[in-house]
Amino acid sequence: MIVNAELYVRDMPGQLVGSLDPISLVDGNILGVVHNRDKIVNHRICINITFEVEDRDQLCRLKDIWQSKDIVISSLNSVHQTYTMDYLLIGRFDSTFIEHLIGEASKTIQMDASDVRYTSKNDRNSTRTAMISVKAHSTEDIDRLDSFLSSRCGEAGITYVRGL
Amino acid sequence: MRLFICGFGTVGQGFAEVLESRKAFFEQRYGTQPVIVGIMDSKTYAVDEKGLDPLAMVERKGTTRKVGDREYTDSVKVLDSVDYDLLVEVSPTDIKTGGVGLINITHALETGKDVITVNKGPLALKFQELIALAKANRCKFRFEGSVGGAMPIINLCRENLMGEEIQSVRGILNGTCNFILSKMDKGQPFEQALREAQEMGYAETDPTNDIEGYDTACKVVILANSVFGRNVTFSDVKITGITSITEEAISMAASRNMVIRLIGEVSETALEVSPRLIPKGHPLALTGTLNIAQITTDLAGPVTVSGRGAGRKETASAILSDLISIMDERL
Repeated sequence: MIVNAELYVRDMPGQLVGSLDPISLVDGNILGVVHNRDKIVNHRICINITFEVEDRDQLCRLKDIWQSKDIVISSLNSVHQTYTMDYLLIGRFDSTFIEHLIGEASKTIQMDASDVRYTSKNDRNSTRTAMISVKAHSTEDIDRLDSFLSSRCGEAGITYVRGL
Repeated sequence: MRLFICGFGTVGQGFAEVLESRKAFFEQRYGTQPVIVGIMDSKTYAVDEKGLDPLAMVERKGTTRKVGDREYTDSVKVLDSVDYDLLVEVSPTDIKTGGVGLINITHALETGKDVITVNKGPLALKFQELIALAKANRCKFRFEGSVGGAMPIINLCRENLMGEEIQSVRGILNGTCNFILSKMDKGQPFEQALREAQEMGYAETDPTNDIEGYDTACKVVILANSVFGRNVTFSDVKITGITSITEEAISMAASRNMVIRLIGEVSETALEVSPRLIPKGHPLALTGTLNIAQITTDLAGPVTVSGRGAGRKETASAILSDLISIMDERL
């Protein structure tokens, strides 16, 4: 998980490094650091750090280390990286089918957002098109969604077009 | 180097012309010329141990629609009737059985002849068997023109990108489908775009192999076997063609700044032909009849190649490059 932390450290030499070292200690990966010297509260300087840790356990260990080093944690927000994929479904279906499909998919796949748009029925062959845009948490989620939609559309005789 | 050409349609004739036009090149590089000692079309053949005149054969085929006076029913007997070193197999593709092309290639390799082919059927159906046969008989077996015509892809992956870990190859490998989808981008319905492709000679009278994705699937199999070392055949490919793509779908994709293209995809795990949504501006959003392939490698990153996927001289150019590679090793 990607985390954004706002910390306040004492205005003394070595405090910045002292706040970053614990991230390495828990096998985290530092993605960005902003040393905000203008933001001073109670003689403490603000530091914004964005880092990646494996799970919540690692994050808890990190919080404990910071607190033991007299580093004040002002805020800790997890930031999820999202992956977007677009799908076009072409065939004979109604909106209930798509809603049911999305509902079923969301039970097993972590989706941050999904957006569906439809065309009206084609006069000539009564087909319609739906475009589904999905934001998921991981590429694994996208792969699972691909496989789910491919299988359901195959069963229903619907042409399924996905992004690259 | 004595050559036997099986198949004397567009590509076979194109190769004969290209061979003639490169006389000076061969003379300078090897001090000798490749000689055509036999040519076979679907019904007739001509053989001459001393060599046939390529341009005269093309002219004869154009005026009489026959390459030779003698008719045949058994192509193997014709191949055995003359001594040759290398078979150029360019007979029409038969996806279901491999057709006469498979028989000719198998026989040539069994009898120790080198083979160059652009015939997708035998490669899509019996790739590993043919490679094993070539290896057992110490024959050279090359097939660059079978995927992407003049666009270098197989030899690029196997020779120029040697040492790279190739993670995937994705591309537009059928110019007919790309022509139709490009026309649909401009508002033409599928049926009209197909008819225009047929009128312009891009699509066959029976366009099934193109629009159902079978032609691309053959190429995907050849890439999977030759570049990724997989052991797959035509029936292993997940295929979706473009026949169900509607104007509404094209226009909905356009509203999100995307186009639909028929993409062949190969990797260690993927083996698929399907219409895909491509962002406008992406290299694979190519329009027209060109072919394009994007090779993803671990060191060089993405490498993109594009070129004419079919055509008389274009496909002949791929055969020429294979011939030069073989002559470099043999002479």
